[in-house]
Amino acid sequence: MKDLNTYLKSGILEQYILGDLSKEEMLEVEKYAAVYPEVRQELEEIENALQKYAEKNAIEPSERNRSRIIDTLQIEDTKIDVPVVSIQRTSGDIKFYKYAFAASLVLLFISIVLLINLNSKLKESYNQIAVLESGNQKFSNQVNYMERKLSETKNTLQYYQNPASYKLITLKGSDKAPEASIIVAFNPDREEVMIDMSNLKIPLNDKEHQYQLWAIVDGKPVDLGVFDSESAAIGMKKMKSVKSAQAFAVTLEPRGGSVNPSLEQMMAIGNI
Amino acid sequence: MSRKTKISLTEPELIQAIQNKKKIGAEALYDMYSASLYGVIFRIVQHEEIAEDLLQDTFVRIWNSFSSYDSKKGKLFTWMVNIARNIAIDKTRAKDFRNGLKTEDIENNVLSIEGSFQSEMNPETLGLKDLIEKLKPDYKLILDLVYYKGYTHVEVAEHLEIPLGTVKTRLRNAIITLRKVFN
Repeated sequence: MKDLNTYLKSGILEQYILGDLSKEEMLEVEKYAAVYPEVRQELEEIENALQKYAEKNAIEPSERNRSRIIDTLQIEDTKIDVPVVSIQRTSGDIKFYKYAFAASLVLLFISIVLLINLNSKLKESYNQIAVLESGNQKFSNQVNYMERKLSETKNTLQYYQNPASYKLITLKGSDKAPEASIIVAFNPDREEVMIDMSNLKIPLNDKEHQYQLWAIVDGKPVDLGVFDSESAAIGMKKMKSVKSAQAFAVTLEPRGGSVNPSLEQMMAIGNI
Repeated sequence: MSRKTKISLTEPELIQAIQNKKKIGAEALYDMYSASLYGVIFRIVQHEEIAEDLLQDTFVRIWNSFSSYDSKKGKLFTWMVNIARNIAIDKTRAKDFRNGLKTEDIENNVLSIEGSFQSEMNPETLGLKDLIEKLKPDYKLILDLVYYKGYTHVEVAEHLEIPLGTVKTRLRNAIITLRKVFN
């Protein structure tokens, strides 16, 4: 700097304080103020003088301005004011949410009741369906059984309706089983022997035993196979073939049958 | 009338409170500086309602742009009063303002202010008259043109038809006089 004293008296510092300098000139003053304490000192005295001048010329603005102006300044530390304001602002919302929450609870309760009710009805329906299904199954089983029985009966009927081809021999119960009655159909031409199972009247056999049909051919027994006495048996059961026979007999034998009949177990016999 | 208790803080305390946007900062700022700033603003616009609105604008700008204040570069009041002056002078240069008010001669304005407000001024003041008497009218006129009318030194020189160097000297002398009066 050429002369500090001249600079101090140049009037540029007053202009600086009054904001009447360009950006460049201001930066220059600030640079000098940082380097020279005298410049800093001079600036402070000018500032103080102008501040005092303003204070002497001060005019008190009317009181209403104070709160109006302070309220427009954004305060960030109002721990008391801010929540009060926000509560007032949202009190309508809180009321709304209160009612909404209550309504939600009521709806939830109604929904649960309806759900439980619906669920029990659903279970009931499932049970009904199961009952109907089992009934249906029973019915259809019965129909199947009836159909089978019908066809077997029809089948059986042909033996009865055809006496020329089939001889029907009724085996009568022995002393062992006086109530027994077995109908055997015999066709010598075809060498067929059938037992009418649906008309079988003979005591039920156990698991260890079976009935065995014999043909008496020239006084000798010929094995025609075994059969079981079942309450639900239907139709004609085809036995082993034989060409000619004078009589048929049934004995109770161990399961699987015997080579020779056990005469003491003779259940029924019938001559041709 | 005015509040009996005004909040007052030291300048560093006030600066910190404003930086932290504390309520006490806003209150102290207003209580400490509203009268001085309003005095400056009123003298510039000479209309109570407008001056009150501009005072509010001034505080809002001080508050919101406080980060741009650098205490190393000068006193808080200097920074604030320049904001107030800029806002008020900008207003007087706006079209709506010039159309709305009768423009009186600048010298008359300054005199009318002193006539109407001297009595209401700070009661502790020894008397603005003492001060004014010590200030040569030529010096005071230049100070008021710059301070209250926002005239640049060049504009003052043109307005008063005197050399720029004279303006600078007279303004400096005016401020030196103030310094002597207040110190």
